[in-house]
Amino acid sequence: MKRKLVLGVLLAVSVFVLGSVAFAHTPLCYCYLNGDGTITCEGGFSDGSSASGVEMAVKDTNDKVLVEGKMDELSEFTFEKPEVPFIVIFNAGPGHVVEIKGEDIKE
Amino acid sequence: MGGGRAINSKERNGMILKRATKVLLTSLMVCLFALPASAHFQMLYTPESALNKGGNLDFKLVFTHPFEAGHTMTMGQPESLYVVHKGNKTDLIKEINPIIWTSLTNSGKAYNLKYRLKGMGDYVFCFVPSPYFEAQEDAYIQQMTKVIVNVAGIPTDWDSEMGLPAEIVPLDKPYALWTGNVFRGIVKSEGKSVPYAEIEVEYLNHEPIMNENKFAKEAHVEAPQDAFVTMTIKADEKGCFTFGIPRSGWWGFAALGVGPKTTYQDKELSQDAIIWVQARDMK
Repeated sequence: MKRKLVLGVLLAVSVFVLGSVAFAHTPLCYCYLNGDGTITCEGGFSDGSSASGVEMAVKDTNDKVLVEGKMDELSEFTFEKPEVPFIVIFNAGPGHVVEIKGEDIKE
Repeated sequence: MGGGRAINSKERNGMILKRATKVLLTSLMVCLFALPASAHFQMLYTPESALNKGGNLDFKLVFTHPFEAGHTMTMGQPESLYVVHKGNKTDLIKEINPIIWTSLTNSGKAYNLKYRLKGMGDYVFCFVPSPYFEAQEDAYIQQMTKVIVNVAGIPTDWDSEMGLPAEIVPLDKPYALWTGNVFRGIVKSEGKSVPYAEIEVEYLNHEPIMNENKFAKEAHVEAPQDAFVTMTIKADEKGCFTFGIPRSGWWGFAALGVGPKTTYQDKELSQDAIIWVQARDMK
């Protein structure tokens, strides 16, 4: 019984520690117009680590997914600019989500 | 006439000459000793180094004395100018245009650069001017200058060594400093650290007015004494230095004579490494 408790605590601590090692930094995402009807978003973390593989989604104002994908090996994600109002979601896990409104994406 | 001795005109002339020589010598000495108070700094100035988004940047390349906005030197044709972003180097030497920069005491030939930033991360601008002949020192000065601009907060290149013959490699992000933070750097000569390097530190005390190519007349601060105009600090035995930043704005660091070349056109040459950092107030 006591052993189980200790194991449980250890497990919880290790999950916490490992979890915070992976994301002990701020997620960052920045999008810009390419001038050819497409948008490129770049992502990363404040410690300089790559965002490669992070889930990306483009949704309309009714939460409908318009485009889905992942950050490529250069931590970039390019998509065609939707014709309706939209939001870009950089999803690196709970507490590490960045949302960018389509209207804020310029140049 | 009491017991006083009469002075003939020949003696009198001699005394006047002696006095005049003394005055002349004294003023010459003052002149000589006053000169080193303010240091030469190659500027590669842009108003903001930490940007939230990309866009057009305006740079002024001016060789001057930034604390006093004093004598601005006429620059020759620069040797190289480039920017490094995510490890990729872009040559910018053909993008510069000559301008005339006006200091509080004179005008001198300088350059401007317009560059469009796209994408997040660090942009390390490196500038190598041609050696400048400083007649007062009978020597040439060549200041290899770095300025780092960041878009959207992600660090990519700021701590990379650019491979300049004389270089200050930052240990703190030069664009992400609060007032009161320290700035640390390593002084390098051809990639090797320079123990006990001498570094001059100067505050950009007069705001550059970008559209008029001149310094603002108003100074931000007044130095209580000459040692505060150009502050001289030393690197430690590993070539590292630390400087606490007392005020927001741009600060220049110049490691003197650390480059490998020591002569140019049969004269002495000082290859200096410059870096500029920008601090902001917490408010």
